Amino acid sequence: MRVMVVDDEQPARERLKQLLQGEPGYDCVGEAGNGSDAVRMAADVRPDIVLLDIRMPGMDGIETAHHLNTLEHPPAIVFTTAYDEYAINAFDARAIGYVLKPVRRERLSSALEHASRLAPRALKSVATEARMSTARRHICARAHGELRLIPVTDIYCFRADQKYVAVDHVNGQDLIDDSLTALADEFGDDFIRIHRGAMVALRYIDRVERTADGRSLVVLRSGSHVDDKELIISRRHLAEARRRLKGV
Amino acid sequence: MSNRSAGPIAARDPNNDTSQAYLPDFCAASTLFIVVLVAELIAFALTLASYGPDQEFLIELSKSSFLILWIALLGTALMCQLKDYLERRGPTRAFVIGFILLVLTSLVIAEGAWQLTRIFGESLIIDDTHATFMLRTFAISSIVMALAMRYLYVSSEWRRSIMLEAQARISALQALIRPHFLFNSMNTIASLTRSDPSRAEEAVEDLSDLLRANLGNSTNRSSLKQEFETAAIYQRIEKLRLGDRLAVRWDIGSLPMRARIPSLTIQPLLENAIYHGIELLPEGGEVRVSGRRDAEQLEISISNPVAVGETRSSGNKMAMSNIQQRFELAYGSKATVKVDSGNDRFTVTLRFPLDEEES
Repeated sequence: MRVMVVDDEQPARERLKQLLQGEPGYDCVGEAGNGSDAVRMAADVRPDIVLLDIRMPGMDGIETAHHLNTLEHPPAIVFTTAYDEYAINAFDARAIGYVLKPVRRERLSSALEHASRLAPRALKSVATEARMSTARRHICARAHGELRLIPVTDIYCFRADQKYVAVDHVNGQDLIDDSLTALADEFGDDFIRIHRGAMVALRYIDRVERTADGRSLVVLRSGSHVDDKELIISRRHLAEARRRLKGV
Repeated sequence: MSNRSAGPIAARDPNNDTSQAYLPDFCAASTLFIVVLVAELIAFALTLASYGPDQEFLIELSKSSFLILWIALLGTALMCQLKDYLERRGPTRAFVIGFILLVLTSLVIAEGAWQLTRIFGESLIIDDTHATFMLRTFAISSIVMALAMRYLYVSSEWRRSIMLEAQARISALQALIRPHFLFNSMNTIASLTRSDPSRAEEAVEDLSDLLRANLGNSTNRSSLKQEFETAAIYQRIEKLRLGDRLAVRWDIGSLPMRARIPSLTIQPLLENAIYHGIELLPEGGEVRVSGRRDAEQLEISISNPVAVGETRSSGNKMAMSNIQQRFELAYGSKATVKVDSGNDRFTVTLRFPLDEEES
């Protein structure tokens, strides 16, 4: 079995690697010090199991697990934690594998044996119970076989485009599989729906303009390279959009 | 469970806790008993000092007791009613307002007594003119009330400083046995025992020293040298765990190391800087500890970079307000504790008078 180790603390990774050496049948095939590196590396080395720290700066363990799930070969996940009462309760309730630090050899081998894939819904409820943010901070996109993690704070807007959703962000455009409705649920606080097929980031909206034919158009802050003509607020969403923009 | 969910709402505000302690509980029977006892003693003393050869001691005693007890009991009732109002005014004002009210009470009662003796035609009970009687009452009650208020003030400050001291000790210990810190450190040590036994040994020694410094002698002042040493030990332990992510720049060369400072100040601040700053940054960052001395003042500031949108609020305010209050108690208005969170950095600046230890 191919195992990958993810923890922001180097000695903690070292400890897991030491213990894995004593486990016949398990090989450490890679290690990462943060969530984004972990997702990128996992796409490359295709581990069977990922040992994943829950509390990491930037992208936490729960979000990392979420992205690992979207890989072509999603790995099984075993969480590691020094202490996290709420997360542990949530893992126990859902029979999700975890090991406590300092890690015991016996505990690690049994967790590895029982490691299984996690359903996205289980992850979401763990995040809620562990009082961690349920909204992802990154969107995972694949382009030409390459994996891209786009920070949500870099995104100007989501636009539904037949089969896919196009994501316009600071570094260009990517296509993702998520549905706009699901994205609206997850990121509703920072984005506003302007029509059935588009959602714009509040932080990048500069103003709303009225066109000659009486329609309302969202104008983004300068520097956001999005075709403005497309960002027309539909009549149905106008009142709600106005209300939310007032607060900006 | 209910306990847990109530946590954030009932978040302990030490300011609030201590404000409850300025005044004794005047509504309690035990306080009332002491008030009566003290009132009698004062009556006794006054009578002893003033009765003349043609006066009966017990009669004089009963006269002054009568007046003084009325003042004492009415004053206590008043303080009992006004306690909440006074507590809200802060310590100094509470005592000043209390003093004025009590002196007024005694004047009102003295006036009442004077009028009553007139009405009942027993004017001989008070062998004095109206003006001097009122003046004497005013002078005596002012002196007694001032002493009483001073006593209550000093003892409440003393209680507050003991409580804050204990609180600092407990919160420093709590931070050390904070599961997050303790278990991660243990895990680090477990890992090092194999890969680098000598560093594992050092880590165990450091952890012990740190615990000892926090459990140790309960002096409430220590030298800058001791404070910085404890902080450096703490830094070494965190450095093992966080590696390159943690950098600390010490710029304290110009500080006199023998200067005294309330103990358990620097290490908790460094810990806050790491826990609320560095640990939340994927790339880590630099904590800056700098100190300078101008004339008779020392200034130490500790700053850390802040992760955008990330906060760990618990515990931080508690430690800060504890340090703030202990500096205030130790130096009064000569010390300031300033918190500044501009420019993506969180900075705590301590300014306090130089007070060097004799060697």
